[in-house]
Amino acid sequence: MNIIEIKNLKKYFGNTKAVDDISFSVKEGELFAFLGLNGAGKSTTINILVGVLKRDSGDCFVNNLSVDEISKILPHIGIVFQSSVLDKNLSVYDNLRYRAMLYGMNKKEFEINLEYFLDKLDLRQILKKQLDKLSGGQKRKVDVVRALLHKPKILILDEPTTGLDPKTRKLVWDMINEFRKTTNLTVLLTTHYMEEASVADNVVIIDGGKIVAEGSPLELKNKFANDFIKAYKYSKDIFTILNKANIPYQKNKNCLQIKFKNTNAAKNFLVENTSLFEDIEIVKGSMDDVFLTVTGKKLKENV
Amino acid sequence: MSIQSEFRKLNYLTFRNIKLYFKDKMTFLVSLITPLILLVLFIVFLKSTYEDSLLSITQGFNLDQNIINAFTGGWLFSSVLATSCITVAFCSGMMVIDKINNASIDFMVSPVKKSTLQLSYVLANLFSTLIIAFVLLAIGLIYLACVGFYLSFVDFLLIIFTIVITSLFGTILANIIWSFTRSQGVVSGVCTLVSALYGFICGAYMPINTLGKGMQNFVSLLPGTYSTVLFRQGFLNGTLNEMKKTLPQEMVDAIATAFDTKMTFFGHEVSTLALILVITISSIILLGVFVLINSFKKNAKSQTKKRPNCKN
Repeated sequence: MNIIEIKNLKKYFGNTKAVDDISFSVKEGELFAFLGLNGAGKSTTINILVGVLKRDSGDCFVNNLSVDEISKILPHIGIVFQSSVLDKNLSVYDNLRYRAMLYGMNKKEFEINLEYFLDKLDLRQILKKQLDKLSGGQKRKVDVVRALLHKPKILILDEPTTGLDPKTRKLVWDMINEFRKTTNLTVLLTTHYMEEASVADNVVIIDGGKIVAEGSPLELKNKFANDFIKAYKYSKDIFTILNKANIPYQKNKNCLQIKFKNTNAAKNFLVENTSLFEDIEIVKGSMDDVFLTVTGKKLKENV
Repeated sequence: MSIQSEFRKLNYLTFRNIKLYFKDKMTFLVSLITPLILLVLFIVFLKSTYEDSLLSITQGFNLDQNIINAFTGGWLFSSVLATSCITVAFCSGMMVIDKINNASIDFMVSPVKKSTLQLSYVLANLFSTLIIAFVLLAIGLIYLACVGFYLSFVDFLLIIFTIVITSLFGTILANIIWSFTRSQGVVSGVCTLVSALYGFICGAYMPINTLGKGMQNFVSLLPGTYSTVLFRQGFLNGTLNEMKKTLPQEMVDAIATAFDTKMTFFGHEVSTLALILVITISSIILLGVFVLINSFKKNAKSQTKKRPNCKN
């Protein structure tokens, strides 16, 4: 069942087509990644979904309700913004408590829900601390708890782990994944981190307000990324064959990387030239390659 | 969504806003600049100036020092309260701070009505102002109890009423202005301007009677002046009545006029009831303007939001 459906959505700011006739749907319980450079239209789409921005045309449905009925939708949504929007002068506890009350929780319900996160995210010792006394990672954990405290059906993560150290990033993702398993939470993610997008169930790549590719990471890689044979031990005769067949390759310090259009081409080449290789692996192209192919732009350069 | 649930949200949001104001030391201090200036002015020269002025009027009469102390003290605290109820109201607003910190976006994506949020800002603003005003009143009463206390119960009720109505007036006026901005610069500018200017134009730093005729006519058009005179009456009526035991009625009347416990509007004396009505009606008009502005903004938003091709 689709929990989010967007049909022919348009949003222009003057002559700038921020979102230009996009359509996609998100299934209940899936991790959905929204990829694009800054200004591609990701945040505009999300802001329309949560009622912060008005759309010019098109339909948006969340949990089978049009975004025109945003007050009925908002109790089911939790959002982690790019930067913290909590009150820096209040304690972690007060911040979470005041926000929880907006979802109709009483103090007892709040305490029960909060207890779930305290040990999982190592929050117990910072609960009474003022928010602006916390590190970036700690603040982000509090943001995630704020978004999940009311047990939403949909969690929207707008570049949630930008600036976090790998340990905290993993901690945040572990908790979100556990929450997904136990509550069938749907996650709509925008990210610059390819490793986060590559574990998504489905990915949409947006560029200049238009969707340029969509599918599972595997489908996208198969369609838009090259495969590589990485050879660690090989005969030098291979270079003659490669040059003769005009197959692109790159010789690195540790290995020879040979580029093929797809897995079949790589497999056929290996079968034909088995005797030349001793130690190899076939590697699928990354989401970076997919992004580069479909947009002609490198994602990391823009970050 | 039930009214009870919305009321609970209003309650918590109001409490949050008040807490944020008192936790923000800078905002808190800026809002107390005017009473602090007054206190310094009082200690440095206002007390002795007004004592001398009083003694020059009552020359030849033996006025008790307690009455003089009560009079100058009452004048100081009426000034402090007349200004604080407005300046604190202007500087304790959380509406713009939430817009700057993007907390307003967090509230936009939370299931809380915009009207509830707006009301919470007004209520928090009002309660923060009232808390400070009542603390200042308590300090004033303790001071007067030490140097000379002549306040009657009616005077006390008048002071309480004036605190509430002036704070309400200041709060609504401030929130009308804050509805149109999301800039920290505008907030700081308006706060500083109000803190610096309001003391002069409401007659807190010097009696209105000492101003030029044109200025006197101008300030008599401002509702804030009426609340200042009400504060003067609340704090000084008891002391003036006590003076009547020692001084002739004409002299007491002259003191009352010189120190703003009486007010004229283009030559006509304004009664206490009229003073109360002016500030009350002004507050009601401002409240109407505030409601109109917010409903206009809401309607404008919902009209542009509605699209013909929506499913529901």
